[in-house]
This record gives sequence, structure tokens and C-alpha cells, in this order.
Amino acid sequence: MKHFLASIVAVALLLATGCGDAPQEADFRFISTSAHHFLDPQKMSWSHDIRVIECLFETLVRVNPLSDDIEPAAAERWSVSDDGLTYTFHLRPNARWSNGDPVTANDFIYAWRRGMLPDLAADYTQLFYVIDGAKAFFDWRVDQLEDYLAPDAATGHTTTNAHQLWSRAQQRFAETVGIKAENDHTLVIRLARPTAYFLELCAFATLMPVHPASVEQHVTLNESSGMLVQNPVWTKPEHIVGNGPYTLTTWEFKRRLLLTANPHYWDRASMGNESIMELIVENPQTALLKYDQGEADWLPSIPTALPIAADLVASSRDDIHTGPAAGTYFYNFNCLPKFADGTPNPLADSRVRRALSMAIDRQVIVNKVTRLGDRQPTASTFIPPDTLPGYSPPADESPARFDPTAARALLATAGYSHGAALTGLSILYNTEGGHSAIAQQIKHSWQTHLGVTVQLQAVESTHFSERLKNQDYTICRSSWFGDYRDPTTFLDKFLTGNGNNDCAWSDPDFDRLMADAAAERNPAARLALLRAAEHLMLQAQPIAPIYHYINLWVYNPRRVTGLPLNPWKIRRLDRVRVSRSDR
Amino acid sequence: MPRLILSRLVQLPLILGVIFIATFALAWIIPGNPLERPEGQRPPVAVQQAMLRQYNLDDPWRFAAGYLKGVLLEGDFGPSLRYGSQRVNDILAAGLPVNIQLGAAALAVALFVGLGTGVIGALRPGSALDLTSLGVALVGISLPTFVTGSVLLVVFAGVLRWMPVGGWGTPSQIILPAITLGIAPAAYIARLIRIGLTEVMTSDYIRTARAKGASPHRVVFRHALKVAFLPVLSFLGPAAAAAMTGSFVVERVFNIPGLGEHFVKAVLNKDQFLILGVVLVYASILVTFNLIVDVAYAWVDPRIELA
Repeated sequence: MKHFLASIVAVALLLATGCGDAPQEADFRFISTSAHHFLDPQKMSWSHDIRVIECLFETLVRVNPLSDDIEPAAAERWSVSDDGLTYTFHLRPNARWSNGDPVTANDFIYAWRRGMLPDLAADYTQLFYVIDGAKAFFDWRVDQLEDYLAPDAATGHTTTNAHQLWSRAQQRFAETVGIKAENDHTLVIRLARPTAYFLELCAFATLMPVHPASVEQHVTLNESSGMLVQNPVWTKPEHIVGNGPYTLTTWEFKRRLLLTANPHYWDRASMGNESIMELIVENPQTALLKYDQGEADWLPSIPTALPIAADLVASSRDDIHTGPAAGTYFYNFNCLPKFADGTPNPLADSRVRRALSMAIDRQVIVNKVTRLGDRQPTASTFIPPDTLPGYSPPADESPARFDPTAARALLATAGYSHGAALTGLSILYNTEGGHSAIAQQIKHSWQTHLGVTVQLQAVESTHFSERLKNQDYTICRSSWFGDYRDPTTFLDKFLTGNGNNDCAWSDPDFDRLMADAAAERNPAARLALLRAAEHLMLQAQPIAPIYHYINLWVYNPRRVTGLPLNPWKIRRLDRVRVSRSDR
Repeated sequence: MPRLILSRLVQLPLILGVIFIATFALAWIIPGNPLERPEGQRPPVAVQQAMLRQYNLDDPWRFAAGYLKGVLLEGDFGPSLRYGSQRVNDILAAGLPVNIQLGAAALAVALFVGLGTGVIGALRPGSALDLTSLGVALVGISLPTFVTGSVLLVVFAGVLRWMPVGGWGTPSQIILPAITLGIAPAAYIARLIRIGLTEVMTSDYIRTARAKGASPHRVVFRHALKVAFLPVLSFLGPAAAAAMTGSFVVERVFNIPGLGEHFVKAVLNKDQFLILGVVLVYASILVTFNLIVDVAYAWVDPRIELA
């Protein structure tokens, strides 16, 4: 008996103590509260993935986080034709991949082509559509795959046929899409129309190059679907080749990443640190404890929807940094004439939407629910103020302001003299992320100020997203973050037929203003047109803006330098310097 | 004994087969599209169709056949639909050793603490020591792990700073989570031992052993505990499997990169390959541990014939 017990315990102890390796050190260490989904520039869409990808790959140009100006990166200079349609980028002759290969114009073409393929099912494919022929190429490939999949397809689903399909697609791309390599170091882009923000796009991670030879090794053709299958193993430390300041040395899923300086990086002399460690700690409370114990220098991702953020902001700590973020929390109103179940939709009337929006007490939400008070601006517009240089959103004229008397009057003109007559409405939200408390507050507002009763519907996020995209809801919570510094990153969402137009709102006047803005070459006149478009949208209130997001970073400014906080989270982690003497 | 092991080994694939069918059916019918990401764009319909085809998600029979072929012939559990950069094999390979180590440590804690307090309680029933151990056992069973874990973390890592704040990789990082995970089974074991031992100590053969002049130490550990331990043994099978397949809460609180969270999250994400992978692994561990317990049972008490 004793031996039996002793042996169990001995085995247990042996197993328990024999585990793992000691954590490695790095010059700069930060904590991410999410595990990585993709480290593939064309495939990624999460901001914590972008944060690491920016260290591994380099775009043609970049935004300087201090001056806000576009500056050279992989391209040392560029020129734009007089008609604004042709961009010529001259790559640095000394730019190298981490394996020593030179970075060439064809590497960009290869990466952008894979980004434009529907096969990748990437979130940011539409960023390429400003390039001449890109949208048509995407649609053409979709049709090609559809024909291949069709049950009565003349061709069988064989490897040979899949290869032929792909050969035709490659040929089509080369012939129709406006990207050409004039020589190894000259990349010429022809746009579909003048695009004021094209350089902003060129600074975005989706438009990074990849090393064709190392990616191509892990690409296969699926004969049953005809699609290219990209095995993500190419982004593992043993395979990945990048052109950025760092190389990926270690990637332990859900544990840590170690980035070490890329010996071939052209601007290695300017780097402020030699290595970066990212620790993955999914519980924000544990993340904060780890930071407080000196295990990390920077904590960039405390979700501001959680109580811990409010507690931090309320504390007297001097390492808490907050600032506006380029994101808005809002409620979608379903604008279709009928709901998914076929019943008439009272929200199709903009007066009802405006009345509901006017009855939301946004100040209570930031004071009592998110508890970020003064630091969290309530939203009356969709585009957050002070985030886009030269653009001020039309806040003054917006109906998204708390005015219960006017709301009741408006509801009465829409035919609901008693709020109780407005029935069949519900608020759809996903269970994670603190949406429930906000939904309850808004339900309470509508009940109190309008007498309108709504149901609350909490569902899991995958189910939520499916219902949102199918417009199978009446009112639902939502949020939007801009990707590049231009109003269109927010306003395109409301174009008729846009894939992100979840509220299904459509107004030809809005579409026309957006088209006029796209055609306008004068920057000030263009921004005025976009402002008019946002104004028009806000008057119709297909959404009720609730609040604008803030960024919350934790770091000690006396120890960590080179981390300016800005709305677009533009940062240069290779320029961060950490002084260890103060610990 | 060999017959027992043989019959259990024959049952094993049958049990796993039933579990596979049940999990597969449930994973298939839960609402939501596995290729839908809450934050992502929706690709054109034709591409969605092509992707469903690529993963065989457009046909349950083809999916099941392809999946079983991959698992049985190639040992490939497929891709994770949610964590696109990982394959299920990678996730299992990274998480399983962590859970086995943590589970073993938790089990060691449970046995040490449980046996200790149980024996003390049974030998001195009603004493202050007994009441204290009963009280601790009651608290251990009642408190959820997110409370014990958070309290331990705040006290020993946050305030006293004796222990690291979560993470995984060094021996010191295993202590707090092992205690958190081991405290509930420890309390249960303590109660089983106390009840069993109290009963056994009044039985005739113990009186005989005492009358023969056996030392109290020998009576308890040689004769009584062997019988009182039997219920603990049958509890140890599922307890070991439960401890080793991880705990969503403990992993979350202590930032441990184990498999526990996938039991919850893979279902929410409708990540079919990952759901099937973790359930099949969990089921295999559970069935294996039950087999080990059955064998140990027969070994400890030869009167028992399970086959």
C-alpha cells in the first residue's frame, strides 16, 4: 500500500518538476492579451497580429509616429504622375530579406497577388481594389472557382484541371492588374482612379511584401475546390523569411514570441533594441500583475470594456496613458423594409431611428457602465473627432444627442404617440466583452423616456456575426475601427451594397457624395464632400453612435522611451529603448 | 487479470467510436458557420462554398470519412478553423504535456493532503485536528477554483511575492495552480478516507490485528488503509483524467497554455476539428485511466473480479 502511494507521488513529482525551460530575456518585453491568429501579412486582420507583423515585414512607406508624415521604408523614394493614377516606387538597393536575398519589386507583386485572390479569404482584400483591375480580377477568379465547383462543370476535379485553372488566373493577373515591375527595384502601380489615401494604404500591413520562394513551398492546389491552399507553416520560426527589423526566433503558441534583430535589415543602425519578447497572457488581471512584478515593460492591450480598465484609469498610477482611438461603439438599426421573419420593420422610418437614438443617455453609459468618465468621449458622430488631420466630423448637427422630449415628439410624428405601440424590437449582442450592461442601460433608457419595450437577445459571437451579416436582427450592438487615416475607412461601410453595411441602409445621395469625393482632386474640397456625406448619414441615423473608444497603454515613461500613443496605434517597436537601471 | 485487461482493451475503441459519433453530431448541429469570424469580412458565396468543400464542411459524411482517415491513417487531426496558423496536432502537442504535468502535480497534492487529513480525522474523531481537517475539506469542496486560484495568486504572488504570477516553464510556476486544482479532490479524498477508515477501524479483523499486538502504525497503514483506500482508488480514475485534461478556469487565472480552454472556446467558435481533437484525446485519457484503476483495484483487492 505504502509503496503504491509512494510510487504515484514519485511519478507525479517527477512529471511536475521536469517541465519546461526558463523564460528567455529580451531587451524589450510586452504583454499581449490575445494569442495570435495569423502572422501572414495578407491574411491577418487582428491588431495584435499586426503589431508583430510590423516587426517582421516592412511596407513600401510608413507613417512616422511622431510627425504623422509618410516617410520612406522599403521604398527609398516614389513619384506620382500628374493625373494621380500612376505611382512609381524605387526600392532601396540595400533592402534585404532576413536570409540575405535582395527585396525586389516582384516580391511585392507576388504578395499583392496572393492578397487579391479570393482563395485566401482574407479580411482586407478590398484594400487592393483601388488598383486598376484588382476588383475585376477578384470577381473573375470567384467566377472561375464557381464554374469549377458547379456540378455540371465540363471539367473534372483533377489535379491537372486545378493547375490549368490556376495558370489561367496567373495569366489573367499579369495581363489585367495594374502592377508592374519595371526592373528589380522599380515598382509601378496604376490605380483605378486617383486615390488621395493610396500612400496610407501602402503603409498598411496587408500591402507588405512576402518572400515568394519561402511561401511558395507551402502552397498547394486543392483539386476538389480548385483553390490555392496556403499552409500557414511558412510563418513558423523555422521557415519564415521577412524584410523587417526583426526575425521570428521563437513562437510558442499561447505562451510567448521572441523577435531578434534581423542582421540583414537595411536600417539596423537606428534600432533601439536588439530583441523583443511578447508574452501572451489572456487574463488582463494576471497580465497587470505580471507587469507590476517587472516581467514586462509595456502593457498595450487592456480591453477598455473591462472593469480593470476603469480601475486603472481611476488610480493614481503614473504609468497609465490614455488617448483617443480611431474607433466607435454604436448600435445598428436594421433599415430593411421588412425583418427577416417577414414582419414590417418600423425602423425603416428614419424618424423612429432618430427618436430611439435621441433617447439614449450616453453620459450615463460612460459614467456608470464603462466607468471611464471624462476619458471616454460620448459619440454623436461615427468618425471620432481629433483622429483625422484636417477632418472634423459634423457633430453639431447630429441627432445622436440625448433629448428625450424631442425624441417623444419625433416618435409621435412617426405615428407612435404612445411608445408602447412600437413593438417587436430587440437588442442583439454577443455574450462576451461587457455588451450586456450597455444593452440593459439602453433598454432602460428607451423604457423610461419613450415607453418603448425591447427584448434583450444575447448570443455567442459566431452566431451573432452570422445573424448580423444576414440582417437577422432588429437592433444590434456593433463597433468599428478605422484601418487607415482617411474618412473613407469609416464611411465606405455605408455605401449601398458594401459588405460591411450591416444595417442595410441605402441612400443614393450618400453614394453620390462619396463618388464625388472620390473624383475630387482638391484635398480640402474632398474632405468637405466626405463631411457632407457623414452629415447625411447621421441625419438618417442608420446607426446610433454610443461612445468613441480610447487607447489604454501601461508603461513607465522614465524607463521606456519611443512609444508615442496615437489614435491609429502607429508605433515603431524597433525604436523603443528600455532603460533597465531604474528597476 | 489478463482477461480483464483484454476485455477493456476491446471495449476501448467501441467507447471511443460512440464518443466520436456523439461529438461529431453535436458539433455539426450547433448553430453558426465555422468559417464565420465575428470580426471578419464575409467572402463571396462562391468562395464560401469552395472553402466548405475544401474542408469537407459541406457534407457530414464526407467530413467524417475524411476526418477518420486523417486521424487513423496519418495521425492528423486537421487544421484549427479558428487559429488559422495552427494545426490541431500542434495545439494538442503544445497543450497536452502541460496538462499532464499540471494534473500529475495536482494529483500529488490531492493524495498527500487528502490522505493526511483523512487519516488524522479517522484516528482522532472529534478532536480539534479532525474538526479542522473536516472544515478545510468542506471549504475545499465548496469553493470554486476561480476563487481559490485568485486568492492564492493575489496573496502569494501579488502581496507576499513568494511565487511567480502565473505563466508556465519553471517548477515554481506549477505550485499554486497544482494546489488550486488539487484542493477539491484532496477534500474529497479526505472525506472518503475518514469515512472508510472510521468504519474499518471498528471491524473484527482490525481488533484481531490489535489483539495480536500489531503496532497502531502497522494496523492503520498495513491493514485498515488498504481497505479504506478502495473508494479513493475508484475516484482516482476520473479525478486523474479531470486533472490532466485541464481546467479552463485554472489555466485562465494562472495563464497556463493548456488544453482546458479549448473545451469551452472550440465549441463557441464552432472549430470542428479542434472540438473533435480535444474530445477524442480527453476520452482516450479517461478510458485509459479507468482501465488503470480497474487493474489497480484487482491488484489491491484480489477478491474483486471485474471481468
